[in-house]
Amino acid sequence: MKRRDFIKTAGATAGAPFILNGVGLSAVGQPWFLNFINPDTDRVLVLIRLSGGNDGLNSVIPLDQYDNLYNARPNIIIPQNNIINVTNTVGFHPEMAGLKGIFDDGKLGIVQSVGYPNQNRSHFKSMQIWYTGLPEQSEQNTGLTGWLGRHLDTQFPGFPDGYPNSQYPAPFAISMGDFVSETCQGQIANYSIALNDPFALGDLAEWGGSDFPGTIYGEELAFLRSQITSSNVYYDQIEAAASSGATVAQYPDTEMGRQLKNVALMISGGLQTRIYTVNISGFDTHALQAQIGSPTTGVHAELLNTVSEALAAFQQDLTQLGLEERVIGMTFSEFGRQIRSNASYGTDHGTAAPLFLFGGCVNPGILGDNPEIPQNVAPQEGVPMQYDFRDVYGSLLIDWFGAQESTIRQILHDDFQYLPIVNRCGSITGATEPTPAQDVESSCYPNPFREETAIKFTSGNEWVRLSILNVFGHEIEVLTNQKLSEGEHRIRFDARNLPAGNYYYRLILEGRQKTKLMVKIR
Amino acid sequence: MDRRTAIFNLLGRKEEKAYARPSAPLSGLAPYSGPWDFQQAAHLLRRCMFSPTYSQVKWAVEQGLGATLNKLFENQPLPAPPLNSKFGGDPNVPVGSTWVNAPNPTGYGNILGYRGTSLKAWTIGLLWNEGISIRERLTLFWRNHFPVSGVEDAKYLYRNVNLLRRYAFGNFRELVKEMTIDPAMLIYLNGNINLAQAPNENYARELLELFTIGKKPQVAPGDYVNYTEQDVREIARALTGWRDYGYGYNNIYTNGQIGAEFRAQHHDTGAKALSSRFNNAVINNEGPQEYLRVVDIVFQQPEVARFICRKLYMWFVYYEIDDETEANVIEPMAQILLDNDFEIAPALRALLSSEHFMDPEYYGVMIKNPADFLMSILKPLEIEYSQPLSQQYDSWYGLYGFMLPMQMAFYDLPEVAGWRAYYREPLYYRHWISATTLPARTFLARNLSNNGIPPFASNGMNMRADALKLIETIDNPSNPDSVVEEFTRILLPKPLADGQYATLKNILLAGLPDFEWTVEYQTYAQNPANSGLAASIESRLRGLLSAILSMPEFHLM
Repeated sequence: MKRRDFIKTAGATAGAPFILNGVGLSAVGQPWFLNFINPDTDRVLVLIRLSGGNDGLNSVIPLDQYDNLYNARPNIIIPQNNIINVTNTVGFHPEMAGLKGIFDDGKLGIVQSVGYPNQNRSHFKSMQIWYTGLPEQSEQNTGLTGWLGRHLDTQFPGFPDGYPNSQYPAPFAISMGDFVSETCQGQIANYSIALNDPFALGDLAEWGGSDFPGTIYGEELAFLRSQITSSNVYYDQIEAAASSGATVAQYPDTEMGRQLKNVALMISGGLQTRIYTVNISGFDTHALQAQIGSPTTGVHAELLNTVSEALAAFQQDLTQLGLEERVIGMTFSEFGRQIRSNASYGTDHGTAAPLFLFGGCVNPGILGDNPEIPQNVAPQEGVPMQYDFRDVYGSLLIDWFGAQESTIRQILHDDFQYLPIVNRCGSITGATEPTPAQDVESSCYPNPFREETAIKFTSGNEWVRLSILNVFGHEIEVLTNQKLSEGEHRIRFDARNLPAGNYYYRLILEGRQKTKLMVKIR
Repeated sequence: MDRRTAIFNLLGRKEEKAYARPSAPLSGLAPYSGPWDFQQAAHLLRRCMFSPTYSQVKWAVEQGLGATLNKLFENQPLPAPPLNSKFGGDPNVPVGSTWVNAPNPTGYGNILGYRGTSLKAWTIGLLWNEGISIRERLTLFWRNHFPVSGVEDAKYLYRNVNLLRRYAFGNFRELVKEMTIDPAMLIYLNGNINLAQAPNENYARELLELFTIGKKPQVAPGDYVNYTEQDVREIARALTGWRDYGYGYNNIYTNGQIGAEFRAQHHDTGAKALSSRFNNAVINNEGPQEYLRVVDIVFQQPEVARFICRKLYMWFVYYEIDDETEANVIEPMAQILLDNDFEIAPALRALLSSEHFMDPEYYGVMIKNPADFLMSILKPLEIEYSQPLSQQYDSWYGLYGFMLPMQMAFYDLPEVAGWRAYYREPLYYRHWISATTLPARTFLARNLSNNGIPPFASNGMNMRADALKLIETIDNPSNPDSVVEEFTRILLPKPLADGQYATLKNILLAGLPDFEWTVEYQTYAQNPANSGLAASIESRLRGLLSAILSMPEFHLM
């Protein structure tokens, strides 16, 4: 079913699966969350796209899984003594010192193993899924909209008709580079303007002339004239902001450094734009991701260095400019890479991966568990998802842009789960910090198993969903999806018809999710 | 006073008015028999090519409609393949030779990278040198119809795009057959992982929804009137077993060959039962021949003809198809297609020579796509590229790069449905125009009409308007009114208001009386070797060209 059909019929759908109410949503009740973007709140989201599929396992390294990881990717793994220790169990690639600095300042959040059900390993399709936020519609071809575009559609219906105007003179989104970001594609038009240099937008000639009333030609001409006029309004806004803006940090001399510097100029100059997107490509590291014999160098090391240094400069700039509570940044990539490396010193398309959030208002620290690396990693095995990317998107929209949870269920997914990735900084009420997500008590016995096993967990009186993922990140079975009573539960997993190998159970309780490894042996 | 203020003062800018939606003319597919002059000839050539030159329009006027169409639909050999223009490290392909059949070896640097660049450059060269032919415009039509994205191996893309070119106005059904097992398509829509044991419906779904018959609003669960989910499933089964070979550096294992192969062990040999939408047709196992049967069965539905005719209409005429147009144009055009066994040429030719197509209501209503826009500067302005091979390819590739900020990448389409301009309501063609694309368009127009594009100029491959060559082709060049009139006639789709002519003439004459131009031009014409005189005339003409290219009308064709 198409999302827009779904929106129309939502509520009428009998037995809509897995509806969780009020999950961890103390946030929604807070008075400052209005149903529209308050133009005075000035909150900005900077989206950083790591194009090609970032190798999460060599970026955020699970130290407690090192031996199994070493066996699966001996030719590219970072030697233990080169890893930057972040916590007792998590390390960073040695080129991520900049991000470590942000982490130490309490302004970096990491969400572990973010993905979506039934991972698609095609770049094109998977990036489309990350853009749209609609994995279940990966077969849809027409009328695609971006997750941010749909959110903006709820705020500014009719766009682009009537924009810019005196209340909204600036573009809603700016994509640094040549292409507008598909994340900002609305039902009618894209909300973003793509630009490389805010100081070189030029000035479009505005001509008068005949109107050719009542003709198709006259209509198209009128459209062109109005686009030219409104573009000039946008350019004036952008140039004025960039000219009056300032930066103090030393940005690296990279494309990404220059782009983020320009973003900082526009923000500090007071541009009303809410969303900026930045893109860096090259993460499709099938070959020589690490240099032969020198795994701390190579393509991936250079990319991580570029990202880390640019983000460190940007965050430092925002802090010194007093803007850090107005800006949140988030990285995303179409997939992680497989656990096993290949013979070409690279890695192939995988499944879930960690993503980074930064800014003065993110909940700092690491959300989620290290991925479990099996002793025998299957060919093509990826990291299974723990968190659904739509929950990251939705939580950001709720906490940062004041979207309603009910809207999130409509524009992202009905099974939305709130994640505490943004903290309460800058809140009008000075509300308390959200409670960190509680851990989930669960285990599986026997494990390894031959024919069947059972998953044991404790729940409150709440909705529970328990499913089984295979090594490709596909959900092969849903064991339970219903409201359970409070107490301990034991659910049987019959694997007699399944081949031996690694499986994962993904357990979702209200506001908590867990993914754990199970091994079927012969 | 700057030009913009001058234009304001002269004309005053009018606020946009809300127009009543104009309705389409009632004219149909009957052959056009009205006047045949510059306007009509230019309309035809603009829609069938990537912009004609002034001389080409003149030629068409002299030849007449029928002869011009003959020329547009003339069969031609395939163009010469793309060349290695400067990459020294390819062990199999010396500079100056083509790589299209050469293996992709590893260990010699970025072989795939230089070939991709070469392919993109070559594509621009083909548009530029198309001559009076509809083939390149149809090749891009099919590229939009069968988009392949995310395929990096230029040998695959070359093979794919040449398939489109071979069938540009050939048989639609046979094109779909070849496309079904085209190696790039097998990658793009997962045909290569469509196995009996694990069917992948991706291609089967697009084959029906986007490539042949089209989807209508669902009338029952899984039933889209023209086909059902059952048909998607069964056709996917019928297409199991194919895969591409020789991609990228795997090419070394196939001796440089690329292609598609059928693996019987992955083919579903059971009977496939289609729905009542296809008259409950049953496809029995035919192994490697089975995909042909699938396409033949789909093409038995007359809706296929209507579906492709609508898309052709939107590509060549206008984006809106109302009930009258459906009845008076699409329906008879589809009938011609059916009568001719899905040969595109007769049906499309009937459209292009119809009263409907030639109705002045449709002149100038199409917003140029980035390729149109680029070529509508390069060709009428008589711009030339540097001739040495490496500079030639570099300048072509540079222009390819300038298409990207205008939001068109030939080999990377945004969706499997193609560019939004050709299917997505309500904006359609208007998708090409935004605050993102207008500066990119303006940059090209300003620089190509004046001093050239800076990065090219610094590399010794400047490209800029040849205003002196252009003015030689027009009648009465010593009359400033003629200059303005003829320049706007070739560059803009419709006549301007009188006030706009006056503004443009003022830009040409810089406030001087008419006779100053006449005298100056005649002096130059008698002493063309006098560089001072030439430079003066040229700079005046460039100013005029630049002004015309900055008008909103210039985005229309």
